[in-house]
Amino acid sequence: MSDPNTADLHHGEIANLEDLIDRESLREVCRSFFDLFGLSIRVFSARGALLANVHEERSVCRYVNSLPDGKRACASTVGEAQVVVPTEGTVVHPCFTGAVYHVVPIVYDDRQLGRIVLGPFVPSELEDVPEPLLKVDPAVEHERAAAALRDMPRVREETAERIADHLRGVLDLILFSGHRAHLTSAMHLATVRENYRELAEKNARLQEAYDKLKELDRLKSNFLATVSHELRTPLTSIIGYSEMLQAGIAGDMSEEQNSFVETIRTKGELLLSLITSLLDLNKLERGQLSVEHEQVDPRAVLAEVKETYLPEAEKKKLVFEVECDDQVPFIQADPVRLRQILINLAGNAIKFTPDGGTVKLVAISTEMTLNEDDEDDDGFGAALMMAPEPAVEFQVHDTGMGIAEAEITKIFDAFYQVDGSSTREFGGAGLGLAIARNLVDAHHGAMRVESELEKGTTFFVTIPETPPEPE
Amino acid sequence: MQLDFKARELTVKLVYYGPALSGKTTNLQAIHRLLSPEGRGRLMTLETRDDRTLFFDLLPLSFATDSGLTVRIKLFTVPGQVIHNSTRKLVLQGADGVAFIADSQVQEVRANQASFKDLRRNLKENGLDPSKLPLVIQYNKRDLPNIRSEEDIMRMASKGKEPTYLATATHGTGVAETFLGLVELTWDHLEREHHLKERFGLDHTEVTKDLQSRFEAAGEGGGA
Repeated sequence: MSDPNTADLHHGEIANLEDLIDRESLREVCRSFFDLFGLSIRVFSARGALLANVHEERSVCRYVNSLPDGKRACASTVGEAQVVVPTEGTVVHPCFTGAVYHVVPIVYDDRQLGRIVLGPFVPSELEDVPEPLLKVDPAVEHERAAAALRDMPRVREETAERIADHLRGVLDLILFSGHRAHLTSAMHLATVRENYRELAEKNARLQEAYDKLKELDRLKSNFLATVSHELRTPLTSIIGYSEMLQAGIAGDMSEEQNSFVETIRTKGELLLSLITSLLDLNKLERGQLSVEHEQVDPRAVLAEVKETYLPEAEKKKLVFEVECDDQVPFIQADPVRLRQILINLAGNAIKFTPDGGTVKLVAISTEMTLNEDDEDDDGFGAALMMAPEPAVEFQVHDTGMGIAEAEITKIFDAFYQVDGSSTREFGGAGLGLAIARNLVDAHHGAMRVESELEKGTTFFVTIPETPPEPE
Repeated sequence: MQLDFKARELTVKLVYYGPALSGKTTNLQAIHRLLSPEGRGRLMTLETRDDRTLFFDLLPLSFATDSGLTVRIKLFTVPGQVIHNSTRKLVLQGADGVAFIADSQVQEVRANQASFKDLRRNLKENGLDPSKLPLVIQYNKRDLPNIRSEEDIMRMASKGKEPTYLATATHGTGVAETFLGLVELTWDHLEREHHLKERFGLDHTEVTKDLQSRFEAAGEGGGA
């Protein structure tokens, strides 16, 4: 409230003439009046500041000022004329020379903001050299005084009034425009300030909510880690004792008993691998999982993956192929994590490919751009930043059911299943792809998928030959 | 209300509020047209685009009273469009009374209500008590088809305490009534709060009567 701008805005008030007008424009207006009517014009603000001053020394003034006493008297008259405050309309201020000044109030929005001093000019009615002029200085000569008076601008009272009215009208328009501009800018400023204040408040609230969520997320991660760990311990016992039972340590078992224990053991192992995946994902999402970098032969990785799934592929009578040409270079990667990526992808491929189908693992030599994902660069320095680097692309093809286009962006989300129904055909927790994606990211690689419904799916994983230098 | 003891001036701020395109500016234009010219300032429209108010309109009125006090009334409109909330809030600061201009068309009921809620919220944020602020309601655009019936409006109005008026601001009907109603309500309130009669000898009915006569004088002069 103490802000003067805000106070002005409350009632749309204006306080000072100085705030509303452009002095240069005012001077130009006064100049054009002077040129038109030959009358000197001075404009004062209510505080007494001289805002425009267009005048010329008049003949009679020049004559009077050439005499010492005349000069003194002139200065005093001009001084008086300049401080007259016309509270009740125009004031006619006389000069001892017979000339007059018209002091006209500038009223805007009911407020007296200043005054116009028009003159000096000689009223047309004046005929003789007035007495006070003759007496102002002992050296005054009648003839010269009369000649000087004849050269003065002569204006009739009504004409002077009309000129003043006209000037006042023009000033009023200038003031109105100035007032409007003044209010507009004040309102604009105040609005911007208010918007900023509101946004800052909202930001603070959002930040608070974000901090809370971050804390919750941390708690969730901790909880998950603890629970997973706690779940693993008893599971290890379950699996261990099942194995001991199967090994006959507690005596022989019937075939039926053996098959029950086998179910307990395999399901236990499934559960264990699920918990391990959960833990991995949790670590990956928290950025806690460190990726080692060593020389890895893509051929060896593919061979290991093939070995892992060969029994399963044979069971489903799949054509299971691995293809890797000699051009494919060694890459700097984490062999364990790289294998995990491909195992997850190949596992899916085998799971979703019907009996008699084909699963193919391929590695080719390629190139990739490492900085493609920089969001805020917007093509900045693309000629430099988009330079491709050598990389290896792994492809996992299958002839499974395919993925609908709408699902493709979601399949990398943790726990997402294309078929989310409880009676779905294929098991799994939906963690494999999420983990693979996180591991690929940890390798600064890229992952994409192409799929055609009922035809099959191909996952592409591109890993740079050498990881980028940390920034 | 702003009181300048030195200049013996009383400035009162009245705000025309309401949803976008309900006719706030049209109300001010009609008041400007219908009032006799003495003491009536220029209608200032701040920053408009496509006939939509961006900041506000301002119509200053002023007149001398028998008490010697000069009364200045500043009539403001707010920009109705939702995005201009900050401006609405700023214009509402220091308001002594509010005229809410509603659109009579049946399909505008939601817009009217949303704007009224917005008014209430902005009043509170400005530290003004909505239940104490002098407030009148105008159902504008009575000349359009598919409007809420007068009977319905009056039945609803009878359940509230705000004086409610019907208007067609484009024709100037109901505009003076709304304005005078708001002035009267505001002065009653100011009298209770500030005892203007006792302190300054300003009779609170004088202002309303004076304004009324100025509407009539203009009506006789040229016809509205």
